[in-house]
Amino acid sequence: MRWGRLKAMAGKEIIQIIRDPRSLGIVLLMPVVLVLLFGYGVSLDLKHLPVYVYDREASQQSQALLKRFQSNQYFDIVRAVNNYPDLVKALDSGKAKMALVIPYDFSERLRAGGAVSVQALVDASDDNTANVLIGYAQAVVQGYSNDIQLEWIQRRGQQVQPPPLSVETRTWYNENLESSAFIVPGVLAVVMSVIGAFLTSLTIAREWERGTMEQLISTPVSALEIMLGKLTPYFIVGMFDAGVCVVLAIFWFQVPFRGTVLALLVSSALFLIALLCLGYFISVVAKNQLAASQIALVATFLPAFLLSGFLFAIEQMPQFVQLVTRILPARYYVSSLKMIFLKGTPIGMLYGQLVPLAIFAVALALLATRTFHKRLV
Amino acid sequence: MLSRLKQMLIKEFLQVFRDKRTRFVLFVPPIVQMLIFGYAATFEIQHVPTAILDLDHTQESRELISRFSSSPYFQVGWQLTRPQELVDLIDRGEATVALQIHPGFSEDLRKGQTAPLQVIVDATNSNTALIAAGYVNQIAQGFAQDYQTERMGRISPYLVDNIPSVELQPRPWYNVNLKSRWFFVPGVIGSLTLVLVTTLTAFAVVREREIGTLEQIMVTPIRPFEFILGKTVPFFLIGLLDVSLIAAVGTLWFRVPLRGSIAVLFAGTVLFMLCMLGAGLLISTVSSTQQQAMVTAFFFIMPAIIFSGFGFPISTMPQWLQYLTYFNPLRYFLIVLRGTYLKGTGFSILWPEMIAMAALGSFLLVLSVLRFHKALD
Amino acid sequence: MNAADRSVLIENLVKRFGDFTAVDHISLETRKGEIFGFLGPNGAGKSTTIRMLCGLLRPSSGRAVVAGFDVAREPESVRQNIGYMSQKFSLYNDLKVIENLRLFAGLYNVPRHVAAERIAWALEMADLKGQEAMVTGTLPGGWKQRLALGCAVLHRPPILFLDEPTSGVDPISRRQFWDLIHQMSAEGVTVFVTTHYMEEAEYCNRLAMIDRGKLVALGTPTELKQKSMKGHLLLIECDPLGTAVETLQNAPEVLDAAVFGNALHVLVPNAATGAEQLRAYLGSHSVQVSKMEPIRPSLEDVFVALTSERENKKEAA
Repeated sequence: MRWGRLKAMAGKEIIQIIRDPRSLGIVLLMPVVLVLLFGYGVSLDLKHLPVYVYDREASQQSQALLKRFQSNQYFDIVRAVNNYPDLVKALDSGKAKMALVIPYDFSERLRAGGAVSVQALVDASDDNTANVLIGYAQAVVQGYSNDIQLEWIQRRGQQVQPPPLSVETRTWYNENLESSAFIVPGVLAVVMSVIGAFLTSLTIAREWERGTMEQLISTPVSALEIMLGKLTPYFIVGMFDAGVCVVLAIFWFQVPFRGTVLALLVSSALFLIALLCLGYFISVVAKNQLAASQIALVATFLPAFLLSGFLFAIEQMPQFVQLVTRILPARYYVSSLKMIFLKGTPIGMLYGQLVPLAIFAVALALLATRTFHKRLV
Repeated sequence: MLSRLKQMLIKEFLQVFRDKRTRFVLFVPPIVQMLIFGYAATFEIQHVPTAILDLDHTQESRELISRFSSSPYFQVGWQLTRPQELVDLIDRGEATVALQIHPGFSEDLRKGQTAPLQVIVDATNSNTALIAAGYVNQIAQGFAQDYQTERMGRISPYLVDNIPSVELQPRPWYNVNLKSRWFFVPGVIGSLTLVLVTTLTAFAVVREREIGTLEQIMVTPIRPFEFILGKTVPFFLIGLLDVSLIAAVGTLWFRVPLRGSIAVLFAGTVLFMLCMLGAGLLISTVSSTQQQAMVTAFFFIMPAIIFSGFGFPISTMPQWLQYLTYFNPLRYFLIVLRGTYLKGTGFSILWPEMIAMAALGSFLLVLSVLRFHKALD
Repeated sequence: MNAADRSVLIENLVKRFGDFTAVDHISLETRKGEIFGFLGPNGAGKSTTIRMLCGLLRPSSGRAVVAGFDVAREPESVRQNIGYMSQKFSLYNDLKVIENLRLFAGLYNVPRHVAAERIAWALEMADLKGQEAMVTGTLPGGWKQRLALGCAVLHRPPILFLDEPTSGVDPISRRQFWDLIHQMSAEGVTVFVTTHYMEEAEYCNRLAMIDRGKLVALGTPTELKQKSMKGHLLLIECDPLGTAVETLQNAPEVLDAAVFGNALHVLVPNAATGAEQLRAYLGSHSVQVSKMEPIRPSLEDVFVALTSERENKKEAA
């Protein structure tokens, strides 16, 4: 391996990257934009969901119940209708996520004693929102019911009993359940996937397509030197972008950072190396940029986005999908990020994430070097 | 003009289908992605690893615990004896939820005092934490309610018979069993279509420019408009085929019901694809290399997917972002997809979305044709 | 030729792509410092042969030794000792002239302290002095070729492989390019050139003619012109040309007839006896002959004859 040849290759790659301002700009801007997008746009805190009501009684009691819904931040009573078809239309068209129907004999039944039910028609096409809505609606109704009961008991001269059980919930590592706290670190995985694999997947394929590969391999430069020369600039860019993301996360979005910089550096570097080699391998195998990009999309970016555990909990996926995630570097990286950022896990305890990442990095590097041959056919 | 167009189409199809790799890449990855992501994308939770520390050891505490162990949402994997063990399990990430019942729990209950239940939730995955906390609350409240009713029944049985109560009857619509998959599969169909059509179209034109064959074609009598048609029609057809394939997987494999009419779905798909074709073409007019096309496309795809209502309801986003989503074709397409799949809605409800897509699509196509003319001069 | 004088040895080289044999048992040797031409129609196997010699393609069978190294077993040593210009321009269009030069200087292990000097020399030789900062993609065709040549010789290789180096280049630039080749040869560099321009073939010291993967002729241009043609060549100007050539194809005592510009080149066993016979024969077929004279065959004649001769041989057998 000759240093001079490696320098020449890396130098050429750097010039080509700089000469393409569009790609360069996007590559530098993208982490910023992505962090902002995810930080602001993605929120799993569902609040102010539109509700339609059909209060068939319109009494003081029914209005009192509805007021409780209105004052709850999860609900936003948008319209009151006086017929059923309007409710149907509202749910069908998505104007309402939930519709409350209060029976016409609501207060009467309460006075007489016994159970009264309030119907909540919920748009369950989004099951998550539906679950949350149902849960909170039940809590509101439960609270109302308890108060009615308390009042009822008091009027009959019984002693007022406080509710026997109170639930004190403490959430650890993410006290305010801020979505940004776990989403923003996850963006790192996505950004690295794009830089690391998406971009590098084009690099060899592009030289084949443009015809410059022939000239290149007729020189003494070795396959290893070509690979290292091509990947080193992307490694630098990738680490830089990662740094930008981290800084933004911590200082702009106030994501807590309880771990060590060393742990973050090591896991990011390992992940990036694994991805760079994967992208390179894809580029060698695909031979044209179109195929390379599509494969890279499937093999790197989409898994990082959907299967890494940053958005959808891996433990909740079917078994075979969980198995698939075990061969994804992104899964280990995202998990290490969560532990570093939110739990402050020291590097010594991260072996469960770092060892697989290291194995991936080495295996993919070997794969990448072995598959590229300096031959035309 | 038609014969020239025909020639261009033949050439495009030949180029696409002759290359084994391109053939593979056009059809296999979308299906694979559909399968994996259809399984992976879920917000449902079940069998959340839970640890319980019972320091009371009474009938009441055991009754409470049994409610958790019999719930499908929680998997009580540990019954601990020391508080430190609890902390360790959460720290290591093995348990997501931990409940602590302090000694004197049942005594407090019997005395009619508030008996606290301590819950620790690992919020490194905010979403699971939120939902799990909700279910914990529900179970605890259920226990409390039953205990209270039973106690009152012992004190004054006639009261219990007549005590008023309000309960909520949730009626999930469109997705009675609240299956996450029913929500996500249409979303995955929409996102995959977006990615596929945009990248393919963007690449198609730029590829010729980069390889150098563009000049060759432009010196023939072919007009720019015909060239564009020749480039987009094949990918339109391929895209349509792909969408049908993944929609078939969604319906036949994942059993997501298609309650609406295929005609409506088809119309929505065509309109959406027009938008994506326009977007892809526009990207190609501002890119001179495939790499540029790819990063630019990515820059457009990511926000489009995030801010479409794919995983996170648009109503949870900040107001200014919500306005921006009106320009996102995927937003409308997802409404059409979920509407035809789950809600069985037709043109009468979905016409605003169709019109929006038609408008956006025309705008993008016209803009890209104009730009194309300019780029050639 | 003894080993000390030899620069390239090719022994029964074969390259097959599936069922198709692109190079069919070619054997030849080249001498150090000679300009060796590879002549043949498109698809004959010229580029394939060169690529094998550069180690870019693996031979199906046979062997080749370039600069003393076996191409199959020591391709990297071969690469250090050769310069290569591919048929399609393959330098980096988005790099500047000077950047391409620096890149290849690095890739060819040109030591640092001489690199600047060599680059300056390459710029001078390629007449690109002052154009260092130009982006390669914006250079006109001829300049690109010269730059590619410059990049191929920075490390002063003893052997140069040039695959159709002047295709698509204007005649003046072509002449200049060949001046450079002659310069190199004078300095002892073996230059292996493929071309389909006949006049360029004349500039070579020796030629190999390739047709459909096989070597059909080998020798100096003069040798080829003298020995390859089995007969004498007559130039016939007549009218109508089309009828004439058809008639002559079937005529007795005519080995070959082809149109060359406004006249016919006709190959006969003996010009002295055949000439008048032909005039009569043509006359009887309503062809007016206005001029008939014996001419010396050009390389093009040799070329056409050899390739059609082989066709005839095949049909006869």
